[in-house]
Amino acid sequence: MLVVEDLVVSVGTPRGALDIVRGVSFRIEPGEILGLVGESGSGKSMTSLAVMGLLEKPGTRVTSGRIAIDGADITDATPYERVRKGNGDVAMIFQEPMTSLNPVRRIGDQIAEAIKVHDPEADVNARTRELMDLVRLPDASLQQGAYPHELSGGMRQRVMIAIALACRPKVLIADEPTTALDVTVQLQILGLIRDLCDRLRMGVLFITHDLGVVSQLADRVAVMYAGQIVETGSVGTIFSAPLHPYTAGLMACVPDPSTGHAPLVTIPGQAPRPDEVTSGCPFSPRCQYAGEPCRDGLVPLVRVGEHTAFCHFPLNMGVAHV
Amino acid sequence: MSDASTSAVLRPVAGPILELRDLTKRFRARRMGKTYTITAVNRISLDVVRGEVLGIVGESGCGKTTVGRMILGLEKADEGEIRFGGTDLIERRGAALKAARLKLRMVFQDPYASLNPRRSVEDSVAETGDIHRIFDNAKVRKEMVGEALTQVGLNPSFASRYPHELSGGQRQRVGIARAILPTPDVIIADEPVSALDVSIQAQVLNLLADLKSRLGLTMMFISHDLGVVAKISDRVAVLYMGHVVEIGDGPALFADPQHPYTQVLIAAVPRIDPASRVTGTLERGEPPSRFRALEGCPFQDRCPKRTDICSTMPELLPTTPGRRVACHHVGGAAVAG
Repeated sequence: MLVVEDLVVSVGTPRGALDIVRGVSFRIEPGEILGLVGESGSGKSMTSLAVMGLLEKPGTRVTSGRIAIDGADITDATPYERVRKGNGDVAMIFQEPMTSLNPVRRIGDQIAEAIKVHDPEADVNARTRELMDLVRLPDASLQQGAYPHELSGGMRQRVMIAIALACRPKVLIADEPTTALDVTVQLQILGLIRDLCDRLRMGVLFITHDLGVVSQLADRVAVMYAGQIVETGSVGTIFSAPLHPYTAGLMACVPDPSTGHAPLVTIPGQAPRPDEVTSGCPFSPRCQYAGEPCRDGLVPLVRVGEHTAFCHFPLNMGVAHV
Repeated sequence: MSDASTSAVLRPVAGPILELRDLTKRFRARRMGKTYTITAVNRISLDVVRGEVLGIVGESGCGKTTVGRMILGLEKADEGEIRFGGTDLIERRGAALKAARLKLRMVFQDPYASLNPRRSVEDSVAETGDIHRIFDNAKVRKEMVGEALTQVGLNPSFASRYPHELSGGQRQRVGIARAILPTPDVIIADEPVSALDVSIQAQVLNLLADLKSRLGLTMMFISHDLGVVAKISDRVAVLYMGHVVEIGDGPALFADPQHPYTQVLIAAVPRIDPASRVTGTLERGEPPSRFRALEGCPFQDRCPKRTDICSTMPELLPTTPGRRVACHHVGGAAVAG
């Protein structure tokens, strides 16, 4: 189980340190997919890089908070310690597999390399085949000798997943893994991730800007805005009765092929840059429900069962809002 | 919105402003020492009617961007015609070509790459006008740029700013402003909102829809995103492997897709619907290799309806009113469209 508590990540700027992740907490159970949703600059990728230990040092660093996997604190562990067998066991896949793969090495060798690092005793050939079967790369014997450029985008992402699985991770972080893929191929990769999560009892932190993808794939959802998680809940409750006006606004912005030409309901303005975030609710300048209490001070946490949000005037709380 | 009535008025009886006839583009590619010819666009014929938005949708490699680039002259067609204002664009040279370029404009995908970082917003928006000498003096230029910026929802004071001072959404508004000054006959917009965040994307989409009705813009809107295409297009053409496989009125096409590929494509769009979930068992093929010569229907390898007849090329034939579909298994007796 991955536990992140009160994570703060800051970047060094000429004008001093700036917090870009501002007190993020979540947990992911084995076999569970948590969808972390947000727009550019919301801090979702920074959160994932912090969990992975991949923040660009020394400028960007975790200034407070705790990251733990199955009780083992990995907040200060190096990336290598995090992936090494028996310690952290967290692996990551990225948006563009072509930039993560070595273009001049055969994919079988690249998978084998990961196995040798994490599992030195393993029968490398057998384990390579096993991983290739696990991610459903067809014709394993043929594909092992292929170079990355000879594979399609979807197949490359399968190779990346095979490499990530070589360390038998307890948690897989997937940062927009299907954004560069066509919709029909995306559906296959999402299906593969769901299947692996269920079969290997692996926790998945799935980062995306696409609410549709999250709705179809995740078990629980965390919505990020201006470096904070503003709403968390199960997929069912969050999309049927969002509490936070930002979540509701984001849902209304997504064009659906079946709704014809009706104009989209938009959120006015744009998200604040990290140096523009003021006290009070960061969403209040764009929020149609905002009132005086939102401009300043702490924002209360509202709770409906497991579903929580930070908001003074939450939606869907009772008859009045339904 | 009066979409139904306007699109009825603008049925092809008005005569198309832009006509593509059997447009074909081949690329050569070398793999493992052998040279292959890839037909990126395969005898595509399309009409764009004045005042309409024609959506072009398809997955990567389907040829949608190449079609747009050929119309703009950024890519030379190997065969076919692009008729614009009565003559073939491909044959135009010199002054005639330059005149066409004033009337045919483009909105690019990446607002970070498409604006010159060292030119002010005013200079970028006025660039086409400068080339064609449409401004009498600096005052007129400033006024017209200010007007174009107002049209796209920006304050005229943005004219003196530089791209690095603008957000992605503002940059794309500048990109649209430069495409409408002076007002063109046709805008080719290739993935104009794909690089934007969802909340900004919605703002820009609404702006394009608004400009279309206010200025009567004619647009070819190219995108891989079906939701976005559905929102703005009067008619939609679905491309697959360089072929138009289905074309028809937007809302009807999304409500009742007829080509098996269109059906697969629409079903694959992840919707916000917690009741529908991805399952781990789903397997559908990927598009076949472009390096292999293809006989017959381009979709046959992945098609659930495939039979022997699919090894011959289906024609794009009318099915229901306003719809044409290239599939042996759709329609049966063709209905006049």
